[in-house]
Order: sequence, then structure tokens, then C-alpha cells
Amino acid sequence: MDARLRRVNKEIADCKNDKSSNIKIELVDASPFHLKGSFPGPQDTPYEGGHFEVDIVIPDSYPFQPVKMKFITKVYHPNISSASGAICLDILKDAWSPVLTLKSTLISLQSLLCSPEPNDPQDAEVAKHYTTSKRSFDETARYWTQIYAGGPAVKKMEVKEPQKDEIAIAGLEKAHVDQFEGLGFERSKVIDVLRRLNYRGANVANIAEDRIVEELLK
Amino acid sequence: MSSDYEYSDEEDFYDDDEDMASAGDDDSAPSDDDMDMDSFADDFKVPQHPPRKSYEIEHEPLSQQAVERLMTTDVDHISGIFGVNESTAALLLRYMNWNKERLIEKYMDNASSVSVAAGVSTPSRASPSVSGPAPIRSSGTRRRTIRQTPVPKAEPSVCPICFDDSQTSFLALSCDHSFCISCWAAYITSKIREEGEHAVRCMAEGCALVAPDPFVVSTLANSGEDEDGRTRERFQELLVRHFVSANPHLKYCPYPSCTYTVSCPSASSRSSLTTMVPTVSCGASHKFCFGCHIDSDHRPVVCPIAKMWLKKCRDDSETANWIKSNTKECSKCQSTIEKNGGCNHMTCKKCKHEFCWVCMGPWSEHGTAWYSCNRYDEKGGVDARDAQSKSRASLERYLHYYNRWANHEQSAKLSVELYNKTEKKMEEMQITSSLTWIEVQFMKRAVEEAERCRATLKWTYAMAFYLDRGNEKELFEDNQRDLEKAVEDLSELLESPIDPETISTLRQKVTDKTVYVAKRNEILLKDTSDGFAEERWKWNIAVEGFD
Repeated sequence: MDARLRRVNKEIADCKNDKSSNIKIELVDASPFHLKGSFPGPQDTPYEGGHFEVDIVIPDSYPFQPVKMKFITKVYHPNISSASGAICLDILKDAWSPVLTLKSTLISLQSLLCSPEPNDPQDAEVAKHYTTSKRSFDETARYWTQIYAGGPAVKKMEVKEPQKDEIAIAGLEKAHVDQFEGLGFERSKVIDVLRRLNYRGANVANIAEDRIVEELLK
Repeated sequence: MSSDYEYSDEEDFYDDDEDMASAGDDDSAPSDDDMDMDSFADDFKVPQHPPRKSYEIEHEPLSQQAVERLMTTDVDHISGIFGVNESTAALLLRYMNWNKERLIEKYMDNASSVSVAAGVSTPSRASPSVSGPAPIRSSGTRRRTIRQTPVPKAEPSVCPICFDDSQTSFLALSCDHSFCISCWAAYITSKIREEGEHAVRCMAEGCALVAPDPFVVSTLANSGEDEDGRTRERFQELLVRHFVSANPHLKYCPYPSCTYTVSCPSASSRSSLTTMVPTVSCGASHKFCFGCHIDSDHRPVVCPIAKMWLKKCRDDSETANWIKSNTKECSKCQSTIEKNGGCNHMTCKKCKHEFCWVCMGPWSEHGTAWYSCNRYDEKGGVDARDAQSKSRASLERYLHYYNRWANHEQSAKLSVELYNKTEKKMEEMQITSSLTWIEVQFMKRAVEEAERCRATLKWTYAMAFYLDRGNEKELFEDNQRDLEKAVEDLSELLESPIDPETISTLRQKVTDKTVYVAKRNEILLKDTSDGFAEERWKWNIAVEGFD
């Protein structure tokens, strides 16, 4: 039997038999080389309670070249692209070793959620948010977990105002958005500009309102 | 015309080409012969190497095998000093980018940390078996040599990578991470072929040990994975490439799929590039510049000036042309102004100077003549136009050199067409006259020479643009003019119609002119290169690397 197929089959079987790790791998279509992995968000993190799905593509030269993985579930994390789900993790690139398995790689992703590395970011805007205000970042990440990964409702946001969502997704304060919306700018544009300029936490004091208006007028 | 230089024996002159080609094919014995490809001096059949001309640079084309021999010398040297085997020495050298001095220094300082970093030994390995720092490594390497041969295990076990439980042949580096031979081979192949990586690390996670060359080679051979030997070949090529790129004396021939390397120690430092133009040719007679990637042969101009000129051309030419035809300068602050409508009363946006667009004189003298200017000869206007013409002059000066430069470049681009035309002419000659194929080769030779000289001429304009005014520049431009005149004469001859009656005189003329042109080219190249060596040239601008 083809060594790659044998190995992948064994890895899938191993994962099925292992009930303790909570990591699941399932087929997407008939091919054993396109899979979907999933794992629960780690405890004591903003991702707790969420269920995260990962798209797995096994290259021809697996296991000698790394698997290709990206998040299907949207994740708010400095090392994961908030748009595409692309992951920045050394073992998926040059630190890959053929000894690593799908399961061990998924466990590594799980632990990446526990320990973000904002100095080597995949998503620069999210990383900026993380370094400016950890508290505000956690809140946004928790909110994303809630709405995208089926996490428990965030207490503070239980009273949902209809327009609250997109502001929270962008990790911004409602008061700030309202302030500029009051000047007559479109809400979506305000959110976009404030997110891009990282108008959050301590950084608010550093950005002159004129600057924002200037950006809004562009 | 050419009477100063007697190259009477024409047959010799043409045979030469073929000799060159065969010398180029011979990769085992590259010699100095290859250097003089483009000159005529070696038309004489001299048994010894023709003397190197002063504008040519000493260099040596090396075949891959020759580079491998250089590598082996370094490896043997280190292996002798450290008392380690060759493959360990090779790993250490590659880790230090083939810097022997630094390696020796660091290794003497802390041998085990260097060995660990180079992937020769594992960090924990040092303590268990042997005590005392020095002998460990030699015993360690010896141990590894033994282990490189596959150890057939009595009963089959499961390889942790492919999960095949029927494998009997397992291999491990000195770290004892053992995997089956087919996984090793597949892994090595994928690293070498797909990633172009010559340092193949152990497959275990986080293990930094690098597989020594014999391990790589024997695994590939024993596994049957590399039947056509291409992976092995590629591995060897990667090692050579790494060696060449780490060594400033060596450069790869940039031509596609050429495997030659050129050694040119005299052009290895940046400062040397201000005194010479390191145009070299590899064993397959591909010509390239050892110092830069600008042009394969930008003689007589040195790399920094050629670079400056190209940058200027890219930035300026189009803009300069447009500025010249559409703008004038403010007569006070010299900012460039485009008049996009309105009357002749101009106010400079920058310095607020008010002037007349027609006579360029200050507006204060104009009174109320808004749409016409009848004061062309007033003093204020004449002065202003003087100042303007000065600034225009610098632009015109640039365009003068640029247009000539571009002209020669253009004709080089048209050379293919000229070749085809000449070939047709040569056929025609064979039909209309009694000349044989070999006898009409003078046309081809002339075209080649003209093209070569145009390449030189092209770059002389870059040089002249930056040369400071003075006797030196005048001498340079004299040489340039002589060459240009000769080349144009030759080109004209090549264009002239073929008449069976005059064909023999034409042939004589073209041959003479070709020799003359070649000689003029040589004179120019030699004089310029001597000038660089003597630091005779003075520039009108600060040039990188010059004082």
C-alpha cells in the first residue's frame, strides 16, 4: 500500500480510538487527503467553550512535507488571519518534522490559542489590538468565539442591541463609533477606519480626532 | 587605414574561431586561452598563452569538478587540524559558511557548542559515554560512521513515520532516532529536490542533527529511491552552490543551465571595482561581469559608474525630454514651470517672482502689456534668458549623452536583423562571385566586430557624461570619436551593394576596416582601463567608492 495512504489511514484511526484528547478528524469528501479537524477552545482563554474547525489538506509528499492547515472557523487571534484563517505556526513551515502527526499538529494549534505570539503576527491589526489593550482584545476574541465558534454568550453582551454586533466584532467601543457617526459618517466606514487605526484602549489618547476625520474623508 | 597592424594571414584569422569553440567545450582543462575571446591579438598562432591585456582581468573558469576539488582541499585541511573525519569537517565548514579562520577560532574556543550548532553532535551526547572534551567528538563521529550502514534488525518493527510493520532496515544518526530506510530516502529526496536544502536534519521533532554526506549518499543508493542518480547529482550541486556563494572569489556563471564557476580573486572586494572592469568568461565562453549584474560587458566603464548612469537614465530620460519641450525655469529661483494657459504674466508659485513668459524679464518693467511682449531686447529679459539657458544646458548635455547611448543600444538590439541580412548577402556573394563559403566569412566577422565596438561605444557615453572637463576627458573623447568614426565607416561598407566586379576590393576594404576597428576598440579599452588603474579619471560628481 502507498505509504502516505497507510499513514493517513492510521492517523485517522488513531484519532478515532483516542477519546481523551477531544480532537476529531473527519473526511470532507471521498478522498482521505482532504480532511476536517476540530477541537474545543482551550480553558481559561477567550476561546473557551468554542468549537474550532480546521481545513486539512495532505500534500503528495506528506509526511516529509508539512500538512496544509487553515481555520474554517473565524478566530480573533494575532497568529491567525481574521479574514482567511491562514495560520502562522513554525511547525507548519520550516520546523515541520515527519514524526509529527495530524493529531499532534491540531494539539499544537490548540496550544497556539493559549499562547499567542504577537511579535510574529499573521494578522497585524489583531496583533496591534493585542499589544495595545489585552483586556479589550480578550473581550473581542471572546465575542468572536461566541458568534463564530458557538461559545457561551458573553455576560456583558447579553443585552443585545441590534447594532452592537459589528462594533464588538471589530473590537471597538460603541461610544467611539457613535461619536464619529454623529459627525455624519457612515457607520461601516467609521468602524473600518477606527479598526485600521487601532482606536482602542490607551491608544485612543495617541490618535487625534482630526486624523480620524481626515481618514474618513478619504 | 589598417596598415599599422599587419594581419595578413586571413585563413588563420578565421580558423581561430573554431579553435576557440573547441577550447570552450573542453571543461577539464580550462586555460587562459578562453580569456581573449574577443580580441584579435591571438590571431597569431602562438604556442604559449597569449599575454593578458591590461584591460582584461585575470580569472579562471572552473568546472563543477574543479570546485569540488577546492571544497575537498578545505575539508581535508579542517579535518586534519581538528582530527575529525571529512564529513564532520564538511558540516562544520558549511555551518560557518566556509570561513575557515572563524571556524578554527570558534572551534578552539568551544568545540562542543560549535558542533551542536552545526548539527554534528547532540547537546546531551557529550556527557554519558566518555569524559574529557576533545576525544568525545572523534569517538562520537566514529560511532556514527559505523551506524551509517543499515542495521538489519532481527525481527520487523514499526517505523514511527510510515507505520509499516514489515520494515527490517532501520537507520539512525548518532541521536538514535531510528526510522526505516524508505522513509529516510523519501525524506532526503523531498528535502533535496523540493526544498533545495543541502543540510538534511534528523526527522525527529526538534532534533537538530544534520545527516553527514555519506549517510545521505548511501541511504539514497541503498533504498533504490534514486535510481537515475538525479537526487544525488542535485545534492552535489547544492553543496557546490553553497560553497560558491560563500566564497567571494567565486561566482556562478549566470547563464541558464551553465554549470561553470569563475574564480576571480582580484575582483572580490568592492573597492577593487573602482579600478577595473571584471568582465570574465566561463569555460563555455559566456561573458559576464564579476562585479555586478548590469550588463554582461560594460567595458570600459567601471561598475559604480555604469550603475549610476543606468539609474539616471531610468529616472530621468523621459522626464528630461518632456521638461525640455514643455517648460521654462523661473528666472529667479530656477524652479521648472509649465505654462498651462492664461496670459504671459507669470507668478512663480515658489518664490512669487513675477515675470514675462515670452522675454523672461521681470514683470515690473512690463507695464500693462498683458498679452504681448515687445520688450524682448531689454536688459532684464536678456539676463534672465542667460540664466535660463545655463540650466537648459545641463539638461541638453545629459540628453546629448543619453541619445547617443540609446542609439548604440538600439543598434545592438537590431543586430539580429543585421545578422540575417548579412547572411543573405553572404549567400548572394557565393552565387555571384567565385568566392567560397569560407571566403565570405569576412562579412560575418565584420558584423560581429561592429557589434562589439558598439557595445563599447555605448558605455563610453556613460563614462563621458560623468568625466570632469580637462585634458583627460579630451583624450578620452578623441579615442571615442576615432572608434565611432571607424565603426560607422565599417557599417557603411557592410550596407553597400554587391557588385561582382568590385567584390574583391570590397572584401579587402571590409577586412582591413574590421582589423582597424578592432584595434581602435582595443586602444580605447586599454587606455581607459589604464586610467582607472592609475586613478587618472576625474569625475564631475561624487562616485561611490572613489574619493
